[in-house]
Amino acid sequence: MGQSRAIRTIYDDPMWETLASGVLRLQQCCNCRSFRYPPGPTCHRCASPEHKWKPVSGRGQILSWVVFHRTYFDDYPAPYNVVAVKLEEGPMIVTNLTGKKPMGSWIGRSVELCFERHSNHGLVPRVKLAGDDHRNVED
Amino acid sequence: MSVEGALSRGILHRAAAIIGVGHTNWVGDAERTKRGEKPHTGIGYAALAFLDALADAGLSQNDIDGLIVGPTVPYERMGEILGINPSWSGQADSGGAILQACMAIATGMAETIALVYGNDQRSAKVEYGGQNAASATNYLAYAYHAPWGMTSQGAIYALMARRYEALGGLTEAGLAQVSVALRASAMLNPNALLRNPLTVEEYMAQPYVCEPLRRPDYCLINDGGVALIITSAERARRVGNKAVHVHGIGRSDLNTDASSLQGRLTDFYYEGQRKAAAASFDMAGVGPSDIDVIQIYDSFSLHVPLALEGYGYCRRGDIARYLTEQGIGLSSSRPVNTSGGHLAESYMQGWNHQVEAIRQIRGACGARQVEGCRFVHYSADVAGKCVSIVYGPGD
Repeated sequence: MGQSRAIRTIYDDPMWETLASGVLRLQQCCNCRSFRYPPGPTCHRCASPEHKWKPVSGRGQILSWVVFHRTYFDDYPAPYNVVAVKLEEGPMIVTNLTGKKPMGSWIGRSVELCFERHSNHGLVPRVKLAGDDHRNVED
Repeated sequence: MSVEGALSRGILHRAAAIIGVGHTNWVGDAERTKRGEKPHTGIGYAALAFLDALADAGLSQNDIDGLIVGPTVPYERMGEILGINPSWSGQADSGGAILQACMAIATGMAETIALVYGNDQRSAKVEYGGQNAASATNYLAYAYHAPWGMTSQGAIYALMARRYEALGGLTEAGLAQVSVALRASAMLNPNALLRNPLTVEEYMAQPYVCEPLRRPDYCLINDGGVALIITSAERARRVGNKAVHVHGIGRSDLNTDASSLQGRLTDFYYEGQRKAAAASFDMAGVGPSDIDVIQIYDSFSLHVPLALEGYGYCRRGDIARYLTEQGIGLSSSRPVNTSGGHLAESYMQGWNHQVEAIRQIRGACGARQVEGCRFVHYSADVAGKCVSIVYGPGD
């Protein structure tokens, strides 16, 4: 076993640096305005290297979800969920749903970003159901 | 066929044929590794498979002038051990290796090529999830989401399965039919590791690994090797009637949005499969209705419904009905993974599917032989890298 590890290249570092203050920023292409994730050197749509780091709205929809029944990391003991969330800005992120859980299918549910402290990674972006007044877990 | 007709199909149409297949003793080595023994390294398994394939082809080492090794063995040491100093070489996964070999033969870079694969993944305790997940350096998606606990290809397919089931009307019991059918075929295959029966009820009673997938949805992990000898169609005709020709081959890769997994979750590889299928079927001059047996790369059960829709056997959204009414077992009109595939025969990362394809066309599959088998379609779509091969008889 072992702890989960984040992949942090020079392209990822700016994202992780602002995550520490509870903000998810992604690269937006200066030429075609599309957002990209994971971060990278050039735009996959128009090939422009020019970009700005922009905070995302935090609104999105669940595309799919799973529940792990086997433990792969010491810091993620099963059972726990993983959700795929399509952000309003276009990119999809893989994260966890915290707080209330929907009855029935989770697909298509509206969610909003929240931030929770993880033992190794600091503040990480997770999602909660839109309108859930679940308090963010902050130290 | 006229020269013009052949050219319109492209230069790879029937340019090459497989004249030798070989593999190691998967069942025996699985028993040994279970006892904690280490029969061979990946190179050792590949070397034994090579000798088996060479004997099957009736050739000697000196006849080989091209070499491709699988991704799990180092090229130079492999060539050194096999005693092959080729005029052309490469390193590729199973489908890619066949494609590259056809290209090398068609362009005259080599005439008779050995494709060898060996893997000691079970005895070496290779992990496909967690901190040291295999392939994570080649596929960013396999490692990037770990800070949220996301790891293992199984979990990726679980994410796909959940959405696919919701959109396409497939239930968990519906998906169970894949593992159940493949297990039934494996029971007629002496080379298969899992030969105990499996029912839908037994499948449903299994605990989840990553919900909605259960253990029978996951492939085996075992040691072994596979080798293929492929040569020019011209030379294959001189060798005799065991040759199985590559009638059509195509490839199409989906890289857009691969790392976030968005590509898989919105399109399920469909565009790549559609293009690879069109390329290979057009080249072969046959279509899905001409195919007698389908071999689908099945690291997870979900690959089977995805491929049946993507390669044109089943209308999109109709998979639940297809699995129930048409079926994929040996008694169906177009059986899938007649050896048991990765789920029940052996996890040789697509290489054992080539062996089964060749043997079905040769009529050498014994109790699981599909009568009158002429055309076999192999498809793979690992991480959206779609390869499609149509195998068929010689003249």
